[in-house]
Amino acid sequence: MLTITNLDLSYPGHEPLATVSWQINHGDQVALLGRSGTGKSTLLAAIIQGSLAVTKDSERVAYLSQQPALLPWATAIENVLLGFKLRGNTQSPETTKQALDLLDQVELATYAHRQVSLLSGGQKARVALARVLIEQSDLVLLDEPFTGLDRSTRIQMAALCQKLLASKTVILVTHDPRDAQDWLDTAMILTPESIKGPYRLNEFASDHALIQALDGDL
Amino acid sequence: MNRLLSALFPFLLLVGLWWLVIIALEVPHFILPSPDRVARVLVERLPLISGHAFTTASEIVCGLMLGTVLGFAVACLIGDSKKLTQITMPALVISQALPVFAIAPLLMLWLGYGFASKLAMTTLIVFFPVTASTLAGFRAMPRSWELTFQTLRPKRRQLFWIVRLPLAIPYALSGVRVAASVAPIGAVVGEWVGSSSGLGYLMLHANGRGQTDLMFAALIVLCAEALLIWSLVNRLANRFDQNSHFAE
Repeated sequence: MLTITNLDLSYPGHEPLATVSWQINHGDQVALLGRSGTGKSTLLAAIIQGSLAVTKDSERVAYLSQQPALLPWATAIENVLLGFKLRGNTQSPETTKQALDLLDQVELATYAHRQVSLLSGGQKARVALARVLIEQSDLVLLDEPFTGLDRSTRIQMAALCQKLLASKTVILVTHDPRDAQDWLDTAMILTPESIKGPYRLNEFASDHALIQALDGDL
Repeated sequence: MNRLLSALFPFLLLVGLWWLVIIALEVPHFILPSPDRVARVLVERLPLISGHAFTTASEIVCGLMLGTVLGFAVACLIGDSKKLTQITMPALVISQALPVFAIAPLLMLWLGYGFASKLAMTTLIVFFPVTASTLAGFRAMPRSWELTFQTLRPKRRQLFWIVRLPLAIPYALSGVRVAASVAPIGAVVGEWVGSSSGLGYLMLHANGRGQTDLMFAALIVLCAEALLIWSLVNRLANRFDQNSHFAE
């Protein structure tokens, strides 16, 4: 599905970071843990933007970040269908119906025609999740998508992701394993030196084990 | 009523101080005329002053509109390409770094002593803040947004019209607000260098004849005019502005 071979995450003029080699198979769902500044987001950017070190089966990658990139003046459904509009595709009644179905699945059916700027943080995250789903990409990259949400909304989002992304290949970047525990089993750890794993996520149930792992001492 | 009083307070304080200086230092009226003298001239010469005020106002408003349109258009043309922005930025900065006083005689030579040279001067002074702010709007998109839109495989033109341009609008509007506050400089400098009408011309003319009171009256009208134009632009901008969208 995705092969990364000797991808250097360092920025010129900054502290050196890990050189990553990583194989992700179709259907793998992995949490990528690491301290801030270890290059987690850079790794995702390289997967999206393409690099000589990255080989992927499909160009269709979906991405959901902490800032969900929703147009605040547009409605929830317009944001879900944004990809179609940006590609200049005409929107058939079927795609509109599909968007409404997806908004229903993320429990936002009644908010479909509400302007995004009027939605809460959790609702915005769910609109963005519906957009990820309508794009029908096999590979879904989630870059700390639950940051900034309260604990109960995070649990709700994790449950939705577990249900709706079940058939996808998923990389969830996070610094908090609790975001992934209810949903994913496997984790990789990115340190400034290397990428390590796979580990079982429940190994990091205690803060001590997590800190050790993030320090690269596990 | 309280709001009106608090708005007028600095003005009244200034007039009070002005009067105090004249009484305490016995300043002659051709150096610093008293506020009542200026007020009298303002009323008596109102037809004359208002004619010149109209000229200056039209220079400011037309220059502001032309500079805004040009500045916004240039930013839209180059803002979508990092390379093009890098290439043109030095020329844009130079257009701002050259003092308008230095270019004014040239503009007079090329465009004459009439309206065109003042329009050019005001346009030039308005152009840069609008361009620079709009360009900042194009560049302000967070990396995570860029990556998200990239995964939606957009057509470049669609991305520009649907996403990038609307997101740059609040930035462009802050540029217009700044431009509205500096636009009078362009018009007045133009009138000083060479003209036969306008408040700048009237002030220079009055100064040459020792009519300091008329000069002060013209200056007060210029301040009021600049303030009025700025507040109208600000109100108009607020109607379109939805503040920066990236903050959420």
